[in-house]
Amino acid sequence: MMLQQAGSVQLLCLTANSGVPLFTRGASKQLPFSVIGSLNGVHMFGAGQGVVLAGCETDRGGRMVWRVFQDSVMLIAVSSGGQAQQEGGGAGEEDLHLRRLLENVWNCMVLVLGQDELASLRNVERLKRDLRSCYRLIDQLLEGGQGQEGIMGDLTHCADCLLPPNATLLQEGLDGFTQAADSEFGCLMVHGRIATATEKWWRLAPQEVVLLSVLARSLSLSGSASCDTPVFLPQGSPTVAHRLLRFQLLPGADVCVLCGPSPTLHRSESELVGCFWSPLLEALRGSLAVGERCLPGSVTLRPDVLALLLINRESRRSVSCVKAIITNPNHPPSDHPLPSKARCWELLRLFYTFTTTRYFPLEESPALTPGEKAQRGDSLREDFALGFSHQPLQCYLVTEECKCFGLQTAQHQLYLLTPLSVPTFALRSVATQTLSTITLATGF
Amino acid sequence: MPRQCVVEPHDMAQVLDPGSIVVADWHRSADSKEFFSRILHKKKRRNFGLLEALVMPPNVSVDTVHYKIFISGKSGVGKTALAARLAGLNIPNMHYETTGIETTVVYWPVKLRESGRVLFFRLQLWDCGENALRRFDHLLPSCKEQVDAILFLFSFTDRASFDGLSNQIARGSEPCDRVVKLVVGTKFDLFMHTDVTEREVTRFQEVWGLPVFRMGGDVSNVSNLGEVAPLLNCLAEHLWHQDCVATRSTILPVSTQSEAANVVHV
Ligand SMILES: Nc1nc2c(ncn2[C@@H]2O[C@H](COP(=O)(O)OP(=O)(O)OP(=O)(O)O)[C@@H](O)[C@H]2O)c(=O)[nH]1
Ligand SMILES: [Mg+2]
Repeated sequence: MMLQQAGSVQLLCLTANSGVPLFTRGASKQLPFSVIGSLNGVHMFGAGQGVVLAGCETDRGGRMVWRVFQDSVMLIAVSSGGQAQQEGGGAGEEDLHLRRLLENVWNCMVLVLGQDELASLRNVERLKRDLRSCYRLIDQLLEGGQGQEGIMGDLTHCADCLLPPNATLLQEGLDGFTQAADSEFGCLMVHGRIATATEKWWRLAPQEVVLLSVLARSLSLSGSASCDTPVFLPQGSPTVAHRLLRFQLLPGADVCVLCGPSPTLHRSESELVGCFWSPLLEALRGSLAVGERCLPGSVTLRPDVLALLLINRESRRSVSCVKAIITNPNHPPSDHPLPSKARCWELLRLFYTFTTTRYFPLEESPALTPGEKAQRGDSLREDFALGFSHQPLQCYLVTEECKCFGLQTAQHQLYLLTPLSVPTFALRSVATQTLSTITLATGF
Repeated sequence: MPRQCVVEPHDMAQVLDPGSIVVADWHRSADSKEFFSRILHKKKRRNFGLLEALVMPPNVSVDTVHYKIFISGKSGVGKTALAARLAGLNIPNMHYETTGIETTVVYWPVKLRESGRVLFFRLQLWDCGENALRRFDHLLPSCKEQVDAILFLFSFTDRASFDGLSNQIARGSEPCDRVVKLVVGTKFDLFMHTDVTEREVTRFQEVWGLPVFRMGGDVSNVSNLGEVAPLLNCLAEHLWHQDCVATRSTILPVSTQSEAANVVHV
């Protein structure tokens, strides 16, 4: 078995009722206009017959999914299909990836423009122009895991976190800073992951937390010192904009607060940032030192763990890491070279998708109505899983590159990769041990 | 009641000759090395977090002066690219609209010509996407709050951006505060597609009495100080001069300067 990456994805956006193209992104080779027209036509035809066309597959392994948002905008994702289909299975997995993409893209359009402008469609030409301001985030979503290594939230809808060694100190600092900025919503990001956030931040909808992380990362990547960006919250405040203030405390460490009209960027920067964060400089450096491993140094992982993704199902947070692979120059190259770091991240995403499509339930927002769920095509879950009267708790997979083990408890899901050299019968104990090591040491 | 303000071209502050207050091309002299090395890291410009300050050896005492600079101009003229260029950050080669305000900090060492004194200018560049600025009312006042200088941008490949300069300047000039104003023409490297002639630029410069800079070029060579030095030196010179005029003296001891320029000891 081989876990394959999806092919390149193209995203189309049209008005839902008249099929006027609003934009296309992704894939260097654009689909011809006639094809776009047909894709819209076939969906409309279905609608006329009382059928919601959610997705389909071409005989050459291309996949496409449709979804209409707010009765106003239709998004279509077309994937040229890797070789996944020939390798057996694949279709469902790709669907999850594409459906998440459509949902994220819509949310990001609301985040930037607000729901009113998207839903009203009063002035299509103006909307087309305004939609350009969403391209940066949309392109980043299209890059998926390739954009920034080790970020999984766009797929899992659980916030990517980093567990800092001095969490209490940072939490206190953040709470004080947030309050001083007339806000209750604050979040400290280290290496693009949430190191700590205020209680209210965690009460935002999980997709919002993920989306704000995507935005904060993209702002931080530009190397700017501070930002004041208007944002609408897709669930919490889709029609009234708030301000996301972001300050780069140290390169790699950013603090964000969601504010109303005050305080101004100038004032918060000159009066609050230094006052609250200078005393915490060492604590911040300490969390930067955790690096992209995301786990504090006190957690020692077994040497046979290649990579892991751990999800806290209740709090909708996740930590993930890929171990730096040290090849011993004295050893002869083995028959099975270990997958590269980048490939490990990719494999982690693929194994997560594989498992949640077939065995484990997907973490969903409670906010969805059954109708919406049907729209999202959850009914496309493999018959295999649906046919079971019980919920699988563990699963494993042996691929040509590594072995994978998935483990589920009431509180957690753990996705683990090991080298091929680990005996299959030992996977379960490696996984259970890793889970308890992390949760005991960090309380995650 | 705010004072009504009409901007006439010749109300403009005096244009200083390059090198009249600060040493031009100082980055090329040997005695600047120890200062410029502080803003470099592995041959690239160093990126400072807000909590970090320039650190000099204990025997050298240099003051850092803080200023706020607003970058103004039509969408797509290259505001974000200019901020990145001046800070030595990676210059985006795609146009992604800036969806709010993004500020970038540039440290720049300067040697005053008369006293030979060295200062670090900490220039915080305020870049706001023009479309965001139109959609959200609070952004422009925020950019103009306590601003020390405004860079008005036009692009050599976009005629409308050049024609819109006078409106830009009017928008930036109310209320009539003490603000240094500079004009920057971007995408000068794309001269094959230029939409604005040299004659027009010269004429504009005469009428408005504002310094005009031409920027553009290789976006990959980010640590090229020579490319950004003339603009940064000119900005520093005018900012320093503005503060000196405000306190009615040309050579100021630092202690009396602190009101005007937020002098911070490092
Ligand atoms: N060749 C060349 N291209 C440039 C130059 N400056 C900017 N560009 C390009 O022009 C495009 C727009 O530049 P931005 O800096 O993003 O434009 P902006 O003024 O920030 O636009 P808004 O954020 O929408 O207000 C980008 O593709 C840049 O790469 C230049 O000096 N030379
Ligand atoms: Mg911009």
